[in-house]
Amino acid sequence: MAADPAVLVRDNEPTLTRRSPITVVASRSARAAGRSGALWGFIFGIAIASSAVSYTQIYKTPASRAALAAAYGSNNAMSALFGPAPQLQTVAGFTVFKISMTLMILGAVWGLLTSTRLLRGEEDRGRWDLLVAGQTTRRRATFQAIVGLGAGAVVLWAGAALLTVATGQSDKVQFGVASALFFTLAMVATAVMFLAIGAVTSQLAATRRQAASLAAVVLGISYALRLVADAGVGLHGLIWVSPLGWVEELRPFTAPQPLALVPIGACTVILAGTAVHLAGRRDVGSSVMADRTQAESHLGLLGGPTMAAIRLMRSTVIGWWMAIAIAALLYGFIAKSAGTTVAGSVHEVLTKLGATGNGTQAVLGVCFLMLAVLTGFVAGGQVTAVRAEESGGTLVHFLVRPISRWSWLGGRYLVALSVLVVAGLVAGTLTWLGAAVQHSGLSLPTLLGAGVNLVPPSMVILGVGILAFGVRPRSVTWVVYGLLGWSILVVIVGGIGAVSHWVLDTSVFHQMASAPAVPPHWGANAVMAGIGITTALFGAWAFRYRDLQGE
Amino acid sequence: MSDRAIRTEQLTKRYGDVVALDHLDLEVTPGEVVGFLGPNGAGKTTTIRLLLGLSRPTEGRAEIFGLDCQKQPAQVHRRLAYVAGEADLWPSLTGEETLSLLGRVSGRVDEHYRDDLLNRFDLDPTKKVRAYSRGNRQKVILIAALMVRPDLLVLDEPTSGLDPLMEQAFRACIGEARDRGQTVFLSSHIMSEVEALCDRVGILRNGALVEMGTLAEMRHLSALTVEARFDGAVPDLSNVPGVSDVLIDGQNLQCQVRGSVEPLVSALAASRVTGLLSREPSLEELFLAQYGEGEHGR
Repeated sequence: MAADPAVLVRDNEPTLTRRSPITVVASRSARAAGRSGALWGFIFGIAIASSAVSYTQIYKTPASRAALAAAYGSNNAMSALFGPAPQLQTVAGFTVFKISMTLMILGAVWGLLTSTRLLRGEEDRGRWDLLVAGQTTRRRATFQAIVGLGAGAVVLWAGAALLTVATGQSDKVQFGVASALFFTLAMVATAVMFLAIGAVTSQLAATRRQAASLAAVVLGISYALRLVADAGVGLHGLIWVSPLGWVEELRPFTAPQPLALVPIGACTVILAGTAVHLAGRRDVGSSVMADRTQAESHLGLLGGPTMAAIRLMRSTVIGWWMAIAIAALLYGFIAKSAGTTVAGSVHEVLTKLGATGNGTQAVLGVCFLMLAVLTGFVAGGQVTAVRAEESGGTLVHFLVRPISRWSWLGGRYLVALSVLVVAGLVAGTLTWLGAAVQHSGLSLPTLLGAGVNLVPPSMVILGVGILAFGVRPRSVTWVVYGLLGWSILVVIVGGIGAVSHWVLDTSVFHQMASAPAVPPHWGANAVMAGIGITTALFGAWAFRYRDLQGE
Repeated sequence: MSDRAIRTEQLTKRYGDVVALDHLDLEVTPGEVVGFLGPNGAGKTTTIRLLLGLSRPTEGRAEIFGLDCQKQPAQVHRRLAYVAGEADLWPSLTGEETLSLLGRVSGRVDEHYRDDLLNRFDLDPTKKVRAYSRGNRQKVILIAALMVRPDLLVLDEPTSGLDPLMEQAFRACIGEARDRGQTVFLSSHIMSEVEALCDRVGILRNGALVEMGTLAEMRHLSALTVEARFDGAVPDLSNVPGVSDVLIDGQNLQCQVRGSVEPLVSALAASRVTGLLSREPSLEELFLAQYGEGEHGR
């Protein structure tokens, strides 16, 4: 073994390292959070840059920009969807409108997943015991981990800021450095808050899955409150009870309001402090919320690996379906309002955002794109769950019994596919319900078709994920979320039309028709489904011939 | 039907340049209890993973009851049960739910025996797995393997985390399995366990099987320990063939003897011996003799 330069060896003395035991947990946490922070910081930066540059290429004249501003600036329904849209006649104003809500949600998801993984997840795997057994206490170790998570958020911000500042130097874009830094700070603010929220739920919940689900519920409520606040129904005050609302109130680029950093900072500090405090009040491995260690056994859905997968994942899957259902219901509810107040040039704008047709249908076309992204995350979650069975050591129990790899993976694939199909049907049905309340005149079959239309892009993500699982299982998370992130990025940029079709074709969402604005392209859907099934088959074939691999 | 429970031919596994298992030829007869010894990294778990079809061999092949481990894994697995040293289970299921799931997947369960095992291993099946200690999780997978009464038990460090009482219960279960004609392949670090349970023992070193046989056959690996008490002068044994490591403490002598004991007996006959004790090497001594003190696995 090569000598570690950090190790000091003296005769007859214990081996010492130069690393301070005080910073071990922090540096470990910072490394893990920093790696994913760098990736997402890059994606954030590219998304911001491409939005800004695309705007300058499409809206070249003051007249076209004024038309855009007139169309969107006072549309409450569109504000509910994307946030307020002031100063759409400027590059900066458009960039905030186009990208900020997506980045805020992505940042929150990154924050809660990273935080619960590095806190409760480490406890689940028993590694936290080893760390806390060192020269530290439960509180100090949690504090260090949160500091490390904060370092990851700084990396995320630095990546996004670097690209945004660089983009701002363009004559056509002209972002001021301070404005660009403040904008990216705002975009990362939700990530920071949800790191802290995840830290608290990691103390409250008994498992990582529960901790992440709790934090996701907070995100869902926060999004719903912000949506209502921005919907123009006289409840704008709700913006101040939503973490996403606080970030919105920062109003970067358009009317900066740094005072809104106060609730963000206070919330983060209080939550981080609460997490540290709670960590000291409970045993390692236990949770603040009572966890039932004994339960009456229920032997249903334990007939085999596929049934067990359904049973073990049902709460997570139902959570996703509910999130899609709520989003779909809200979208359906506001679509008519959004569609009837837009006119003229707005159709052109919506077309560039990826939707055509009459107002209501065009708005729903964009909404279904968002639902497609959510469904894509469901597909990604299914693939990482498959991999987790292997890396967590539970898959071995099936494969040393009379279960072939083919049948195990086939069963898991069918479960994942069913989850996606149901997600599509839920999206279509609940959108119809929301739209029907508003007498939008859209039929259930039309919106069910739009819901089913969400499934093929997710099948591609699922298939590519299974292929990665079969060939390089340790790369699954990167491949799946890389493809998803890339597809989102391309569709954000490509919807505006400034990208080569070769690049556009690499996005699974670009291939999806903007139903119900236009009828689903069943031919293209069949091709995507075929790609998804074929890649999954290759993955299953490769899985049959490889070694089982741990983490 | 094959006359071998396990047969490997030139079974080899390489990870890049590292040879984890080197042309292993191994045969286990049905009904045998075979121990598999070796330090960490010697290739024990690699062998088991290849037998179970969890890893692919670089060269060679393995069969269980005449079935190819790679080509017919599901058929192979109908005949065996496996216990790993690390019990990674589903945290949200109770012990009973876990046993139900694993039993249904196995396709057969002796329910009466399962209940008996729960009692003998003193396991509370109503607790969730995440509330179990490491030892209790290990009990779950032991019971899950034993309750299906397989033709072959493949055990990889099966008693990790078990207390001495449960270790005794485990030994009793393996004894019963042997009496029922089940074959047992046991990889373990606990020499007393292997010594007590196994008909034959294999010793693995750097991925290669360096010894395989019964304990009696392996006695040649280590010296016989002889202790003698004298009434009078202690004889000089320095030139006696086969004698080494002579220790003299007053009227007492201890030495090691390799090969025939006849020269030593002749040398002692000339003195007044008041007490004589000889002891065959334990499995631990055989193992250490094979590896040499201070040598570690890769």
